[in-house]
Amino acid sequence: MESTITTYNIERNDIGNAGTVASLTKRALKRQGLSREFVKTVTIGVYEAEINVVIHSYGGEVTVEKADDYIEIIFKDVGPGIESIENAMTEGWSTASKYAIENGFGAGMGLPNIKAVSDEMDLHSSKEGTTLRIRFYITEDCYER
Amino acid sequence: MNVKSIINNHHFTLINNETNLDNKINKLFASDLMSHVMGFAETEDCLVTVLNNINVLGVASLLDFTGVIFSHGVKVNDSIIQKANELDIPLIQTKLTTVEVINELHKLGE
Repeated sequence: MESTITTYNIERNDIGNAGTVASLTKRALKRQGLSREFVKTVTIGVYEAEINVVIHSYGGEVTVEKADDYIEIIFKDVGPGIESIENAMTEGWSTASKYAIENGFGAGMGLPNIKAVSDEMDLHSSKEGTTLRIRFYITEDCYER
Repeated sequence: MNVKSIINNHHFTLINNETNLDNKINKLFASDLMSHVMGFAETEDCLVTVLNNINVLGVASLLDFTGVIFSHGVKVNDSIIQKANELDIPLIQTKLTTVEVINELHKLGE
């Protein structure tokens, strides 16, 4: 089984570059012949999580692992953590700053969107940082016909 | 409906390069909140928004949108136009409000 791992840094409040990891992941998956629908699903999950790190955290790192039968993306930031994961998972609930809202974010849809598109999702958070793991399974149906 | 049929209407102006004007639009999707767009829009939709920042193009590119319509006469800065040219995404500007855009384009039909 072949597996590739790529790591990227995400800077705090770097809204201009937010979406770069999603865009590079999209390109890599398309190149491998995965279907438009599958690529869109993964892209939504990566984009939302990437935005969360940019607008809510002090910055962090993303690891994208592509294996034959899954793609797993792990986002690790260095704080300040999510006060209530239950609230954060509720559609429409948001703690976004004025800066984030002015840039079109803060709808309170990020984590619910991620949960909706991913096959597996784990979220752990403390004041020292938040780790989000999402996984998408790749089956034969995920390839372009 | 494609981008060309939209800009043939006098209320709408193309503000960047003439590329991908013949691509068929799936449907119009109006929102100013990018997570709503990510969560609910579909591939090949055309976005109607008043949000004039670079993230709109990030989302438009990730979802393979056929175009972006900036309503309410919002000013679109050069960096957005430049990025749209790199991504080959048509940008359209109009003085109409978002609701008026939907009404006007509804007349164009499929």
